[in-house]
Amino acid sequence: MLDISALLEEIKASPYEETVVRAPHSGSAAFPENLASGTQVNGPSGDFRERPGTLLACIERERNLRAVTCPERGEIVAVHRELHGSFVEAGTELVRLRHFLSRAEVEERILKKALHLFLAPERARYYFTPAQDIKIKTAGPKSVSVRDGEELFIMSRMKRETPLRYSGPEGVLYAVYFSHAADVDTGHPLIGVCPPGLVGQVEDVVARVRTEWKETS
Amino acid sequence: MSGKEHKILIANRGEIAVRIIRACRKLGLDFVCVYTAPDEESGHARAAAEAGPEKRLYRVSSYHDANELLAVADAAGATAVHPGYGFFAEDYRFARRVRQRGRSLDFIGPSWEVIRALGDKINTKRLARSLGVPTVPGSDKPIYDELEAEKFARTIYEFQLQQGIEHPVVLVKASAGGGGMGIEEVDDMDLFRSVFRRIRNYASRQFKDEGVLIEQRIHDFNHLEVQILAERGGAQIVHFGTRNCSIQSTGLQKRLEVAPGFDPSAVRYRFDAAKLLTEITEHSLTMAREVRYDNIGTWEWIVSRDGTPFLMEVNTRIQVENGVSAAVSSILGKDGTDLIAEQIRAALGEPLGYAQDDIRMDGVGIEYRIIAEDPDRNFTPWVGRIERFSVPERDWLSVHTHVPDDRPYDIPTEFDPNLALAVIRGGTLEEAAARGREFLDVLVLEGKGPSGDLVSNVAFLRRMTEHMLMF
Repeated sequence: MLDISALLEEIKASPYEETVVRAPHSGSAAFPENLASGTQVNGPSGDFRERPGTLLACIERERNLRAVTCPERGEIVAVHRELHGSFVEAGTELVRLRHFLSRAEVEERILKKALHLFLAPERARYYFTPAQDIKIKTAGPKSVSVRDGEELFIMSRMKRETPLRYSGPEGVLYAVYFSHAADVDTGHPLIGVCPPGLVGQVEDVVARVRTEWKETS
Repeated sequence: MSGKEHKILIANRGEIAVRIIRACRKLGLDFVCVYTAPDEESGHARAAAEAGPEKRLYRVSSYHDANELLAVADAAGATAVHPGYGFFAEDYRFARRVRQRGRSLDFIGPSWEVIRALGDKINTKRLARSLGVPTVPGSDKPIYDELEAEKFARTIYEFQLQQGIEHPVVLVKASAGGGGMGIEEVDDMDLFRSVFRRIRNYASRQFKDEGVLIEQRIHDFNHLEVQILAERGGAQIVHFGTRNCSIQSTGLQKRLEVAPGFDPSAVRYRFDAAKLLTEITEHSLTMAREVRYDNIGTWEWIVSRDGTPFLMEVNTRIQVENGVSAAVSSILGKDGTDLIAEQIRAALGEPLGYAQDDIRMDGVGIEYRIIAEDPDRNFTPWVGRIERFSVPERDWLSVHTHVPDDRPYDIPTEFDPNLALAVIRGGTLEEAAARGREFLDVLVLEGKGPSGDLVSNVAFLRRMTEHMLMF
C-alpha cells in the first residue's frame, strides 16, 4: 500500500528542483537586460498553457529569432550573460533556475509510484498507433482503456518501425510520459495505467496533494 | 586546388563525413563539421575536434535543420556546403537556398535545377520516357487517394497476369522515401488497402509527405548503377562504369556492391552482358546530357534475367558505394581515384581535366557494408555498445568508418546501425572474392547490448560473397 503521507513529507523536505535552460539550437544569443540572479520568473500559463513563460533569451539563426522562455515558475540562479551577442552551439547552458515543485509535479511524482508503469523496452522514439493516437488527441488519454497484449505503440529506431504491445493490467491510460519529438531511454516509463482496483488510491493521491501542497515560489 | 580559398561545411555525419574530411585534406581545403549530442563519440566529430587549434566542430540540434546548418556555416566562415548523402543531399530547395541566400555558398552537388529535374522519382520517369529510356511500369505521380491507388494497383496486377507472370506483385513505395525505406510488396489485392495505409502513415511520420508510388515488382533481377561525373555547366560528362548492388536486405537496402555491374568472363548470363552494360551507360549519359548534368550522380537500373533494363531512379548525390567504383578506376594512368574529391573539385568550378578516354576501369571491387543487424530476424537493427573493432591492414583493402577502434562506442538509435564500409580490390572476381572472405574472417567486431552479444551481418556477407554478380 502506498504511504502517501511519507512520500509527501519526503518531497516537502526537498521541494526545489534545479533546472538548466539550454540553447535549443545553434545561433546568436541575446539576453533581456533585466534578467539577473534572484529574478522571479514564471512558466507558461493559461488554460491551454498558451501564454509563454518569462523570456530568458533569444537565439537567432538565419534571421529567425527563437524566444527561449521559462519552462516553469522559479527564481533565476545564474545567467550566462558572457554569451550575450555571441554564437552558441545547441545544448549550451544559458540560464539556471531554482524551481519550487508545482502541485501537478508533486502529483505526477507520487502517481508514478501508484500507477502501473509500462516501460520503454529499448531506447527509441515512440508513437501511439494511429487509432489510439486520434482518441488521445481528441478526448485526452483518460478516454482510452488499455488491456494486456493490445497493440498500442509504434517503436521507431534506426528508421525502422516495430509495433509494440502493451503488457500489464487492464485499466485507464492515466498518464503519458513521452513525446514524439524525443527518444525515450530503455526502462523509462512510457505510460501510467490505472487499473480499476487502484482508482481509489489514485483519487486519494490527487486529493491529498491538492489540499496539502501549497504552491509558493 | 587552385583559386579562391574554400572552407567546406560538412553537413552530415558518420563515415561519409569522415571521407569528406579526408577528401578536403587531400585537396588542401579547410572544413568544418557539425554533430548532434548522440554523435559526440562519432569518428567525424573526433577528427574535426582534433584537426587543429581553429574551431572546426559545432554541436547542432539536428542534421535536418537548414537554418541551423547555415548559421554554423556563417559563424565558421564556410564558403561551401557538402551535404553528403541523405539529409539535404537531394533537396533542391536547400541547394537553391545555399546559392541564393545573402551570403552565397557553393553547394557540393548538382545545381538545384538539375536536382529538381532528376531528384524526384516521378520527374525522372517522365524525362526518361520522353527520351526513350525504358522505365519500370508504374505511376508517374504520387498517389494520395486510396481508391485511385487501388485502381492503379489492380491495373498493374492484371497487366502482369496478361504477360504470363504467374505470381504478380505490386510495389507500394513512399514517394519521398529513399535508401529502400518505406517499400512493401503486395501479392494479394485484398491486402492492398491495408498496405497502402501503412506506407502512407509511415511516409507521413518519416518524410512528412503522404505521397505513395505504385509500381510493378520486377522479379528475378539484378540492381545495377551507372556512376556519372560532370563538371559545372555540364560541358564535360564522364562515367566511371557500372556497379552491381543486387545483394540487399529484405527491406531492399544494399549490403554488398560489386564493380563492374556484370562480369561475363566469370559468370554466364543469358544475354550479352557487356552489350547491356554499354546500353545502360549510354542511356544514363543521354539523360545526363539532356539536363546538362553538372556534378556527381548515379543512375539506378534493374535488369531482368533475360537482360531487359529498366531505369529506376537517379540519385543526384554521392552514393555510399562510390568507393567501389573508385577502387577499379584510374584517371590519366593514376590509381587511387577519389570520387568525393572529384565531386568537390567539380562543384567548386574546376574543370575535370580529363575526358572519358583518360579513365580506365580495371579489375573487380567489392564493398561490404558492415552493419549491426540480424539478417536472420529480418535484418532487425541491433542496439548496444561496440567494445572491440579492428580491421586488418592490406594493400587491397580500404575501410571507411566512424567507429573508434581505441574505445567503446554506443551506436546511436537515431540512425541506421552502419558501422563500416570495407572496399576490396582484386584483379578478377575470384581474387576479389577470396580477399573479401579473408577480410571478413580477420575482422574483429564485438559488443554488448540489452539483448546480449553484438549481432552483425558479417556471416551474411560472407555467404553472399559466393553469389556476387549472379541472378
